[in-house]
Amino acid sequence: MLKHDVIIVGAGLAGLRAAVELRRKGIDAVIVSKVYPTRSHSGAAQGGVNAAFDENDSWESHFFDTVKGSDYLGDQDAIEILTSEAPANILDLQKMGVVFNRNDKGGIAQRPFGGQSFPRSCYYADAVGHMMLHGLFDNVLKYKTKILYEYFVTSLVTDNGKVSGVVAYDIKNGKFEGIAAKAVLFATGGYGQVYSSNTNALINTGDGMAVSIKAGVPLMDMEFVQFHPTTLKSTGILVTEGARGEGAYLLNSLGVRFMSKYAPKAMELAPRDVVARAEQTEINEGRGVDGAILLDVRHLGKERIMERLPQIMQLSIDFEGVNPIYEPIPIRPGAHYSMGGIKTDYNGRTVIEGYYSAGESACVSVHGANRLGGNSLLDTVVFGRRAGIDIAEYLKTAGERKFDESTVKRDEEAFEKLKKSSGKERHGLLKSELQEEMRADVGVFREENAMKKALEKIIELKERAKNIGIDDKSKTFNTDIVEAFEFNNILLIAEVIARGAILRKESRGAHYRTDFPERDDENWLKHTLATLDGKENIKFDFSEVAVTKFKPQPRTY
Amino acid sequence: MEFKIRAYRFNPDTDEKPYYKEYTVEDYPGMTVLNALIKVKSELDGTLSFRRSCRSAICGSCAMKINGISKLACKTQVSPEIEKFGIINVEPLANMPVIRDLIVEQESFFDKIKEIKPYLLGQREDEGHDNFHALKEGEKISQPVYYKYEFQNLTGNNDTPNCILCECCYSECGGVVGNPRYLGPAALAKLYRYCEDPRDNDKNGSRLVNGSKPDGMWDCVHCQSCEEFCPKGISPVKSIVKLHERTIKNSITFSAGSKHVVSIAKSIGETGRLDEIKVAFDSGGISGLINDLPMAFGAGLKGKIPPLRLKLIKDMDDIRLAYKELDLEEK
Repeated sequence: MLKHDVIIVGAGLAGLRAAVELRRKGIDAVIVSKVYPTRSHSGAAQGGVNAAFDENDSWESHFFDTVKGSDYLGDQDAIEILTSEAPANILDLQKMGVVFNRNDKGGIAQRPFGGQSFPRSCYYADAVGHMMLHGLFDNVLKYKTKILYEYFVTSLVTDNGKVSGVVAYDIKNGKFEGIAAKAVLFATGGYGQVYSSNTNALINTGDGMAVSIKAGVPLMDMEFVQFHPTTLKSTGILVTEGARGEGAYLLNSLGVRFMSKYAPKAMELAPRDVVARAEQTEINEGRGVDGAILLDVRHLGKERIMERLPQIMQLSIDFEGVNPIYEPIPIRPGAHYSMGGIKTDYNGRTVIEGYYSAGESACVSVHGANRLGGNSLLDTVVFGRRAGIDIAEYLKTAGERKFDESTVKRDEEAFEKLKKSSGKERHGLLKSELQEEMRADVGVFREENAMKKALEKIIELKERAKNIGIDDKSKTFNTDIVEAFEFNNILLIAEVIARGAILRKESRGAHYRTDFPERDDENWLKHTLATLDGKENIKFDFSEVAVTKFKPQPRTY
Repeated sequence: MEFKIRAYRFNPDTDEKPYYKEYTVEDYPGMTVLNALIKVKSELDGTLSFRRSCRSAICGSCAMKINGISKLACKTQVSPEIEKFGIINVEPLANMPVIRDLIVEQESFFDKIKEIKPYLLGQREDEGHDNFHALKEGEKISQPVYYKYEFQNLTGNNDTPNCILCECCYSECGGVVGNPRYLGPAALAKLYRYCEDPRDNDKNGSRLVNGSKPDGMWDCVHCQSCEEFCPKGISPVKSIVKLHERTIKNSITFSAGSKHVVSIAKSIGETGRLDEIKVAFDSGGISGLINDLPMAFGAGLKGKIPPLRLKLIKDMDDIRLAYKELDLEEK
């Protein structure tokens, strides 16, 4: 058994930022990740990270924009922290070696982003996530941090209500390992793979959330799934909002900038929920182009495209066969981000003492019902750092605890049992069925009967999942078995999403019910909290939204 | 249309040696090699093992040899490969040991990244991390000034910070083939990236000194493969050449490679000719000369004996002029 003071699960931006914070203080923190850190999906973030720097901008304006963007479901005390700490966090990254594009005055260049009333998205061309991920990773190396990579975490272990470690599967060597610690941080990212047509990496299977709810930690606001308005038609690969930030148009089959109908002031730079719905409406009403909408950047000119959007240009050429300098890019909405997640406070604490979460896996909540573009990277570093600080404090009085080693045996047996299974169902195919069902019936537009159909399908898949066969019986790098476990995780998460979406009888942010098209503050200005009742059944509780400065108003753009 | 994938298979648990296995897959427009591998894994054979994550050419997980060339499977379309080769041949990357199937052991690659100290050195006092604070109501933050030109070598589309550490260059690197301890193109490109950073405060040039040690920047064989095969359009070899320039400019000339370059420049500047014996002596000293003896002897047998005294070439004035102009340019 391994033993460390802190375990950080996940090596994307939130995990690495927390690791840097802890390692700077000399704390024995180990990073555990199912992929090598630089493979984490944070690296795919493209467009920007928000912070108010300009003398005509203010963090208070960023604060309000984020509250409004969240459709008033975001907790305002947390959003105040997010936005007031934003500039210092960006400068801290800059000190660590992250490079941002510069403006003519020698400051960090900033571009407009959806739902932001000022151009405040700091960027590195259209690869800011990559830049931040590698910059933070380099710092993790600087502080000589131990990294257990290609370790898949299967359980959270507790002792008398306090966290005592995790159980992890060493993928390369095919063995289970108990890792004991006084504090555990999950920075395990989102669950984009619940949906077909998503922007997410194949590794984004909501593992951390699934492990958490099984350990008794509530998942909050899981029905709020962000659909990104601009993903490549054929593959769902992300096309940054920065393209619209730079001035791109959205056109329907008639060549009309249809956003004038849905958001006459903000146009293409309305928040993502608004734009995604507008696009889907155009497509549904027959004004799409082969089931897509066109993103037109041609008028920006070759030079600007090459300078500001080089990755987008390359991705369009490589994956869609379209050169955006000469042709508009066919795009459509795709699942992108989980607003919901492991319920935490603004220091990353969960209901279990010593157990923390940060980044996309967590729900603080700063994004409420709809996240604004450029706020997720900010979320990772602000709350990754805060969790690191809080953990360092916690360790001072944390005391000893016992790691129950039978948990390792338990998980190992579950793995071995699954591995031996020679059932007829193939998890890869079940996954596709689930993803397609979720896209069709728990997607941009939602309605009771369709969602109930989705739920039935999920229940059917749960049954069939008991009959999954595993081809690969070997020990070394058995990705077959890992994928089977990942499938079980997204299946559980899908059920939480579907049940939460059926429960919430209103439309707010990214959750749009055609049968309840209005926001209902009287009954639904509250968070949903999902837990497991016994083992199988999901039950829901509610908690208050922190409304401090801004009373809910109608949300128009 | 159906096509065939021929995959390198090796499982240390069960196989004594590697073998190839063929799968037949149905093509569709836009299908990538990664899509095809996923189709094989989920529908035909769950034991086929490979790494993958982002599927959009930014995470670097799915690098492998496709029809003999190190590429990202997610970025490689099936149809042009089929047109050219009639089959999709997939093999693990080279220059790293195979763990299983298409998965290689990356530890040595990442150890080399660690070795070059990939972070800003010598933080200035006023840039400590302690002055962090959340803004109060009405408060603004002031930021340090860095002009565009200061980052000009770090913000271009093909500049080294865009490296995704996918190991394609490392797999194709001729230098690593010859010397497995050689740092390789990705690590050296990263070393260059930090040298170019205006915030770096590596006063005594320790990074360049480290990079000049044996197995470092002077072990590049200039085969250009790293540039040719980089899926992100980056040229590590250009970074390496710039590192060479920097080390010599900073008089970090303890390495054989740098001595070699300095000696060649000196020899040409003096006589217009390459004094091979002197260059060999300058770069490697007596032991270097002795090491080179068998080669010199072989060359001698073939009548290729370098002259002991070099005559000035007749256009020596032109060379002097060129050297003078280059000198002026430097200043």
